[in-house]
Amino acid sequence: MNLIGSALAGAAGCAGAAMTAAVAVPARTRAAAVGVLTTAAGVCGAVGGAAALSGRTFSAHLPDLLPLAGMYLGVDALSGLFIAVAGVVIAIVAGYGIGYGSHGHGPGRAASCALPVFGAAMLLVPAAASVSTFLFFWELMAVASLLLVLSEHEKRDSVREAGLWYAVMTQLGFVLILLALAWLAAASGGETFAEIRAGAPRLSPLLRGTVFVLTLAGFGSKSGIVPLHAWLPRAHPEAPSPVSALMSAVMVNLGVYGIVRVGMDLLGGGSRWWWLLAMAAGAVSAVFGILQASVAGDLKRLLAYSTTENMGLVLLGLGAAGLFRTSHQPVLAGITLAAALLHVVTHSAFKALLFCSAGSVLRATGVRDLDALGGLRSALPVTTAVFAVGALGAAALPGGAGFVSEWLLLQSLIHGLAVPGIVVSVALPIAVAAVALSAGLAVATFVKALGTGFLARPRSDSAARAVESPPAMTVAMVLLAAGSTVLAVVPGLLGSALSRAVGAVSPGGAAVSDAVARRLAVLGSTMSPLVVVAGTVAGTALVATVLRLVTASRRRAVPLWDCGAGPPSARMQYTATSFAEPLQRVFDDVLAPESDVDVTPVVESEYLVRSVSYRRMVPDRIEHRLYTPVIAAVRWVGGAARGLANGSVHRYLGYAFSSLVVLLVALAAIR
Amino acid sequence: MRALLSKILRVGRVAEPAPPLPGGVPLRRELTGSVQVRCVDAGSCNGCEIEIGQAFGPVYDADRYGARLVASPRHADVLAVTGPVTRNMATALRRTLNATPEPRLVVAVGDCAIDCGEFAGGPGVQGPVDSVVPVDIAVPGCPPAPEAIVAALRRVTGR
Repeated sequence: MNLIGSALAGAAGCAGAAMTAAVAVPARTRAAAVGVLTTAAGVCGAVGGAAALSGRTFSAHLPDLLPLAGMYLGVDALSGLFIAVAGVVIAIVAGYGIGYGSHGHGPGRAASCALPVFGAAMLLVPAAASVSTFLFFWELMAVASLLLVLSEHEKRDSVREAGLWYAVMTQLGFVLILLALAWLAAASGGETFAEIRAGAPRLSPLLRGTVFVLTLAGFGSKSGIVPLHAWLPRAHPEAPSPVSALMSAVMVNLGVYGIVRVGMDLLGGGSRWWWLLAMAAGAVSAVFGILQASVAGDLKRLLAYSTTENMGLVLLGLGAAGLFRTSHQPVLAGITLAAALLHVVTHSAFKALLFCSAGSVLRATGVRDLDALGGLRSALPVTTAVFAVGALGAAALPGGAGFVSEWLLLQSLIHGLAVPGIVVSVALPIAVAAVALSAGLAVATFVKALGTGFLARPRSDSAARAVESPPAMTVAMVLLAAGSTVLAVVPGLLGSALSRAVGAVSPGGAAVSDAVARRLAVLGSTMSPLVVVAGTVAGTALVATVLRLVTASRRRAVPLWDCGAGPPSARMQYTATSFAEPLQRVFDDVLAPESDVDVTPVVESEYLVRSVSYRRMVPDRIEHRLYTPVIAAVRWVGGAARGLANGSVHRYLGYAFSSLVVLLVALAAIR
Repeated sequence: MRALLSKILRVGRVAEPAPPLPGGVPLRRELTGSVQVRCVDAGSCNGCEIEIGQAFGPVYDADRYGARLVASPRHADVLAVTGPVTRNMATALRRTLNATPEPRLVVAVGDCAIDCGEFAGGPGVQGPVDSVVPVDIAVPGCPPAPEAIVAALRRVTGR
C-alpha cells in the first residue's frame, strides 16, 4: 500500500473516529472533538491528493468491503486534484466548525455524526474505480449532506422545505446517474472503470450519447447547473454555514469530476453535440446564476447563485475542451480543460472563504438579509477583510483568485477561434460573450455584497450589536484568505499538477500533458498576476501619498452635505435592493420581477388611505415556469391515484396477482 | 445631421452684441470665465426666483457670459440668496454656505435679501442675508430686473 492508499485509509479512519466521538463525547466538548478529527481526515485526504498530483497512482481491490462486487479504488492525477481540493477545504472548514459550534450554535449528535461521513465520502468519491463503489460513495455523500442540511430544522420551517427540495433533486440526480452508469457497465461488459474504458469504444453512438446526456443531467444537478439548480439557492442558505461552505466549495466540484470522468475518460470524448450541449448548459447557468445573484437580497442565497454561475463557467470550459478534442486539437483541449480545472480550484478557495465569512456574519448578527446589514467593518474587522478578499476573487478582478482561471478560460476560448468549422466559429464567440457578461455582473454582485453588507452604517439593531467571531473561526478564515491570495498571485504553482490531471484524461496522455505544462509555464511568466497585483497596490499607494502631500494644507473637514435638512440617517443609505435596481430594470424581461402594491382605505371612506404596503420580489423564473407545472402534475397524479388504494385487502391481493400474471406473460413473450 | 451642421454654419451666431462689462475688475480672479451658481430661497415671495429664471432664459441668457445654475452647493462657486432670511432657513443657509467649496461668493438678490424689504419686522423673519452669512454683491430691486442680475453675475465671470 503506497502513500495514497495509506492517506485514504487514514482519512477514513479519522472520519470513523470522529463519528464515534460524535456519539460518545458529551455535548460540551463534542464540537471540538469532531472538528479536530475531521480536520485530521481532511489533512490525510490533502496529503493523498497531493501525492497523486505529484505523479503517483494507486489502485486497490477490496473484495470484502462491499457485498457482491467488492470495492475498487483507483487514484490518478485527476482524482488527486479533486481529493486534494476536498481535503484542504474539509480540513480548514472543520476547524472553522469548532468555533461555529460553540456558544449554543452547536449541531446535535446526528449532525455531528454526519459531518465526518460527508467529508470522507467527498474524499472517496473521486477515488472510486468501479460503478458500484462510485455510486455507494455518491449516495453516502448525498444522504450525509441531506442530514446536515436538515440540522437546524427545529429552528425554522424553511429548513424543512429546503431539505425536501434537496432530497428530491439529489435523489433524482442519483437515479439518472445510476441508470446511465448501470447501462454503460452492462453494455461494456464489466463494472470497473478499466473494463468500461476498454469496452466503451465498441458501443453504439446512440447508447453512448444517451449515457452522456443522463450523466450530464445527474452530475449537473449536483453542480447546480440550470435548470436543475433549484435546490441550491434553497439548501445553501438554510444549511449551517460550515456545511454550506463544504457543499458549495467541494460537493459541487464532484459533479464536474463526474462529467470529466464519464465524458472524457470512460466514454473517451464522444461526439461534438455532447460538448455543445454542455457548453450551452454552462453558458446559460453562468449568466442566469449571476443575474439572480446580482438581484438577491439574502447574503447566502447570493453566494449560492454565484456557485451556479461558477459551475456554469467550469462546464462551459469542459464543453469547449471536449469540442476542441473532437476537432482534433488535443493541446488546445488540454489547456481549456486545465483552465476549467483551475477554476474549480480557485472557486473552491474563494467560495469556502465567502461562505465562512457569511457564517461569521450570521453568527454575529443572526441576519442574512443584506438590507438589514451594514456597518460591520469596525465590529467584525477580520470577517470584513476576508470577505473582501473572497469578493475580489469571485468578482474575477486582478488580485482575486477567480481572475487567473477566468482569464485563462477566456484566452483558450479566443484561441479556439482558429479551429476550423462553422459550429466552432458560431459557438465560441457566444461563449466568450457569456464569460465576459457573467464576469461583469459578478463585479456588480460582489460590490453590492461587500458594500451594502459590510460598509456604511448598520441598518438594523442586530447589525449594530455584532461582535467578532471566536479565534477558531477567524484563524480558519484567514487561512482560506491566504490560500486564495496565493492562488491569485502565484497560480504557476499549480501548473505541473494541472497538466498531470489533464494528461490523465487526454487521448495523448503524457505528450498532451507535457505540451500543456509548457504552455502553462509560459502563461505564468507572461501574465504574472504577481506583477499585476504589486503594480496595482504600488500605484494606488503612490497616488494616495502624492494627493495627501499636495493637498495637505488645503484640506478641511466638513460634514456630509444633507441638503441643509438634518443629519443623514442609516435609512438614507443605498440598500442592496436599490443598488441592484438599475440592473434589475435592464434585465427586466429575463428576471420578470413581481411587485405588489396593497392600499388599505379607512373604514369610513375608500378615498382616505390608512396604509400602503409595497412588496417586490424577484422569483427564480426557471423554477417558476418549469417546476411549478411539474409539481402540480405530480400532485394531480398522486391525487388521482388515491382511488386505487381504497383500503380493501381483496383489491390489493388482486393487484398483486394480476401484476404477477402480466409479468409472467411478458417474460414468456420475450423469451 | 449634415443638414443640421450646414444650417449651423450658414446661420452663424445671431445673438445681440453684449452690453459693456460692468464694474471693470472682476471680484475674484479665480472665478472668472466660468461660474457655477446655486440658488437658495431663504424665504422669498418667489418674485426674485421668476426674475432669476428669466436671467437664465433665452432672452437674457446669463449662460453666454459663463454663469450656470447647478443643483448642489458642492458644485457651486456662487450662492444666489433671495428673500429675507426666515427663522426656518437660517441654519440651512449657514450649512449651505459651509458646504460650498472655497473660493466662493454670495450674491444677495432683491431688496428683501438686502434689508428684509416688505417683510422687515415680521414674526418669522430673522434678518437680512448679511446678518447670517457674509454678502459680496447685492442686487437691489423688488424684484430686480433680469439685466441687473446678469450684470451682477458678469462682475463675477468677468465676461
